[in-house]
Amino acid sequence: MLAGLEAEEYDRKYEDKYLVNRIFSYFHPYRREMSIVIFFLIISAFTYALIPILVSIAITNLETNRDLLYLIIVILLIFILNLLSWGFNYFRQKYTARVVGNVVLDLRRDANKSVLNHDLSFFDRNPIGKIVSRMNTDSRDFGQTVDLTMQVVSSLFIMAILLIVMCLINMFLAIIFMISIPLFFIVALLFRKIARHKTLLGQRALASVNAYVKESFSGIQIAKTFRQERKLYEKFNDVNNQSYNVNLKKGFVLYTIFPSLGVIMGVLLALIVYFGGIYVIGGQISVGELYLFLQSLQMLFFPLLVIAAFWPQLQAGLAASERIFALIDTPPVVIQNNDIKPEKFKGKIEFRNLTFQYEDEKRVFDNFSLTIQPGESLAIVGHTGAGKSSLAKLLARFYEFQGGNILIDGTSIRDFDLSEYRKQIGIIPQIPFLWSGTIKSNIRYGFNNATREDIIEALNQTSGYGWVGELSKGLITKVGERGNQLSMGQRQLVVFARTLLENPSILILDEATASVDPFTETRIQDALEKTIKGRTSIIIAHRLWTVRHVDRIIVLDHGKIVEQGNHDELMAKGGKYAELYNTYFRHQSLEYIEKMRKSTHA
Amino acid sequence: MDNRKKKTHLIKKNRSSINQTVEFSPEIDRFIKTRHKGTRPWILAHLFHKNNKFFIFFVLFTTIVAANLNSASLIVLGMTISELMDGNDSNFIFYIIIILILGISVPILRLFNYLVREILAQRLERDVRREFFTNLLGKSQSFHDQQKIGEVMARATDDVRMLNFMISPALSLIIESFTSLVVPLIYIALFFPPQLLLAPLIFVIFFLFALRSYIHKITPVTGILRFEFGRMNATLTETLNGIEVVKSSTQELAEMKKYLDKAMNYRDAFIKQGHIQAKYLPLLFLALSVTFGLTHAIYLYYQGFMNIGQIIAYVGLISLLRFPTFISIFVFAIIRLAVSGAQRLLNFMNQETEIDENLEGSEKIFEGNIKFENVSFAYSKRSQPILKNLSFEVKPGQTIAIVGTTGSGKTTLTKLISRLYDVNEGRILIDNIDVRNMALNSLRSQISYIEQDVFLFSTTIFENITFGRTSSIEDVEMVAKQAQAHEFISKLPNGYNSEVGERGVQLSGGERQRIAIARAFLSDPRILILDDSTSAIDSATEDKIQKAIRNILKDRTTILITHRLSQIRWADLILVLKQGEIVAKGTHEELLRTSEEYRKIFVKKFDVDLDYLLKQCEEKL
Repeated sequence: MLAGLEAEEYDRKYEDKYLVNRIFSYFHPYRREMSIVIFFLIISAFTYALIPILVSIAITNLETNRDLLYLIIVILLIFILNLLSWGFNYFRQKYTARVVGNVVLDLRRDANKSVLNHDLSFFDRNPIGKIVSRMNTDSRDFGQTVDLTMQVVSSLFIMAILLIVMCLINMFLAIIFMISIPLFFIVALLFRKIARHKTLLGQRALASVNAYVKESFSGIQIAKTFRQERKLYEKFNDVNNQSYNVNLKKGFVLYTIFPSLGVIMGVLLALIVYFGGIYVIGGQISVGELYLFLQSLQMLFFPLLVIAAFWPQLQAGLAASERIFALIDTPPVVIQNNDIKPEKFKGKIEFRNLTFQYEDEKRVFDNFSLTIQPGESLAIVGHTGAGKSSLAKLLARFYEFQGGNILIDGTSIRDFDLSEYRKQIGIIPQIPFLWSGTIKSNIRYGFNNATREDIIEALNQTSGYGWVGELSKGLITKVGERGNQLSMGQRQLVVFARTLLENPSILILDEATASVDPFTETRIQDALEKTIKGRTSIIIAHRLWTVRHVDRIIVLDHGKIVEQGNHDELMAKGGKYAELYNTYFRHQSLEYIEKMRKSTHA
Repeated sequence: MDNRKKKTHLIKKNRSSINQTVEFSPEIDRFIKTRHKGTRPWILAHLFHKNNKFFIFFVLFTTIVAANLNSASLIVLGMTISELMDGNDSNFIFYIIIILILGISVPILRLFNYLVREILAQRLERDVRREFFTNLLGKSQSFHDQQKIGEVMARATDDVRMLNFMISPALSLIIESFTSLVVPLIYIALFFPPQLLLAPLIFVIFFLFALRSYIHKITPVTGILRFEFGRMNATLTETLNGIEVVKSSTQELAEMKKYLDKAMNYRDAFIKQGHIQAKYLPLLFLALSVTFGLTHAIYLYYQGFMNIGQIIAYVGLISLLRFPTFISIFVFAIIRLAVSGAQRLLNFMNQETEIDENLEGSEKIFEGNIKFENVSFAYSKRSQPILKNLSFEVKPGQTIAIVGTTGSGKTTLTKLISRLYDVNEGRILIDNIDVRNMALNSLRSQISYIEQDVFLFSTTIFENITFGRTSSIEDVEMVAKQAQAHEFISKLPNGYNSEVGERGVQLSGGERQRIAIARAFLSDPRILILDDSTSAIDSATEDKIQKAIRNILKDRTTILITHRLSQIRWADLILVLKQGEIVAKGTHEELLRTSEEYRKIFVKKFDVDLDYLLKQCEEKL
């Protein structure tokens, strides 16, 4: 809550006129319901305004000629109008809910579609939490604004009608009345600025309480083992008391506004009774008419209070619509030149004079060329930032390159139908992502008709079913959010099986750097060995075993290939690869492990 | 064994009573009894706690006075008009002044009312949050393991805040509503012909019934709204977190449908809520009652019981009923939220803690012998056992390595030693004393635990190493050197005073681990438990970590859970754990000969055969 007040990169400023048009376009499909809403809005405002006028007429009549029949008609009218007014309001509210519910749904649908069509660079730039809140919370706020706007418009109608009648009765009293209106707004605006500041401080204080609770209970185990509860308690008290003080001040400010408006109303009441009274004595207006003024004061206070109180929300709602449109309008950057639906790939990959950079950053590849033969397994090694993952991500079409081309079996990847293309590329990311569900549902993600046998077969083809059998519930073991109930290694085994079910022609594997228990690691080796057989495979290698077993290793440095060959050749050469071996692979060797004895038992 | 039985008995006895010992309690817990009585008594106890009750009475008093003054103002208005109609203007200015004074004093009274109410609300929020936080600090680790941090946070902030809203504005709105329902009736009874009570009385009765049915109808719908909103957030977050998988398996449409399903449920509930609110009957009743009241008043006017000024005042008085009628739509939703929030807080706080402090327990200094005797353990009665009948012994100064896959029970085993949990069956002995017969403080302070994901508090590195001890900078530097951490710490911009965490420096897993090792050096425990799964991406870091671990192992009993083959290879004893059972036990060489699974690790990884591995063992020994 503390951070996040700054604008996002996809934010843009819309012209008011455009914004209003855009909002209207969302209401367009529901124009029938909308016209019902507006119709009932207007007539219910009329009936609502008519009631005090009729009461005033009744009283005036009592005062002057006392026509019983006339009175009965007026009272009957009031009775009917009351019934009608409730009915009109019922329909208005019912249809408003329907329209708002649907418009919000449409907004969410459009935003969701737009977001899912972006390439990954969009998600690199925009934190997921913020996208989610924009899509769900902002659209809700916008919906509330619509409802509020309706109420405000209806209140304004009522006021307008009453003001006209008041002007007809007595100009001077009506003017006193009207002068007070801007006064309400001035008070509301005066408070708005300071209230916003205090609200912000209050939110920050609460956010820091939140953060502290999070930290305390994330580290509760260590605090317990070191018996540090008191320290946590004391610091918590500081944070909690600070939140108390700040929020109390906020409350003081916010709750001063209503009594202030109340004072204005009190003074106004006295003024109207005073001047009204003088007019009544002078015979210029009747008591019934004075009643109308008094009654209008009550009616005025209520909507004005609503407007004054919700003014910030109204602003926020408009801003919310702007924020959602900005999200919907960000253009996706994936380039499609054609939509060839490819046959099964043979698996020849060519990078031709490739140029690529992430937005506004340094160039990752400049004139990069590489050919991989069908069925070849290729390991890429290099320091962080050499461009290893970028190569894989470009091939998966998660990002767009700026120059050169990538060809598969001789056709540019921009000419393939995107989803058909991706079906033939299997990707195993470094940090495997699992959906919260079971192992089974994760393996058959995207293949809903896969049977239990298919799944067990896929497991047997990779790591073997054995490890799943050891889990408490086998295939239907719950994996938790992001798969956090499984170890990193086990998650990878699940993804291996999923990929095999997909049976892709080309495999891209980003090896995990996280440590994996020795049993699981042995299984990952099994899985890898079986999966790369007969497939073009590109492996970003971190494991000694992998580099020893692939057909070819390329050494990347700052986006250029500096060496290639197999493990033994490159080691013999004693160049860049040998240096990398010493940096990243040496400690994985048996020699290293055997050597450790001396130090352990020294 | 007898001793043990007594202890179990004692624990049971403790649990049945409310006054249980908790692991931590900084002050006398005043609400411990009312927490068990239920939500309402607990909230009430907080409301009337210490001088809160004076605030409550003040709010109550001022609200009632304000409502009375409001009604009085209308009576004066009626009198003014009546006298005007009679052409009597002698009291006119006097009445105007009264109206002005009342018009100004009511808002000012309200201002004080609001301010005091706000103090009460904020105090309640602060105190309940402190109670909640303190209570959770006292809970055992088994409790904390079952909670998601997000859930704890939601309770500590949002649910507590609901209680604040219950006071400000809900509580005073309810008092005000109630007063606004009653006071106009009293004024009508006092100043008007008693028959006129008919319309408002009928209304009040209808209102109460209709309100009940309204609350009954709206409660489930608002529940659905909250539930679906949460699901919408969760689904979308998960989809976007897994966007790479979605794209590479071309599941965009399926994911969109998942989200839209929830969004549509939300819309349906929203529309339903709109319908229920549109049907809110009390507003209709009120309008009709006012009409009826007016008719009645006019009738009485004809009978000569009333004058016109009184009619105006009377209609004004029953119009005051509009406020409680209208505001009830919202107030009861707030109250419901607060009660269910309080319920959620109590759910947490009333869970009993499982570990009992043994205050008279042994406080002996350890030699470091650890013995497991037929230990079995499950996290709860319903769940499957994590450890089954484990027995083994570690001699003082020995290092044992535990290997096994995730879920085999490795980490759980270590947590039983420092009594983060208690065993279900069997016992754990340190120097032949059952850990449950030791003072918790003495036990835990002699065992150091370096966990898998080293947690650092967002304070300085210095404080993260000393962790509550008073140590000189020289001592800290010395232990940091032994832990191979001094080098990278001194390279940080502020050295040992650098802040870590979100606002400070970001440390890698290997660096955090070395800070934890330094922390353990400083506390110099007899027994060390190291849950080591930190991966070193480069060999230089690996060298440092190995060296640090080697230093800390010296002269201590150490239990290592490790993925590092070198640590396993050179441990004094290796336990292979599978589904909570020890499936193999021995030295590296013994295991190579006896355990197929163990052998496979080395044979496969290095493409060598068993003979070669065994030869290595002989050579080095």
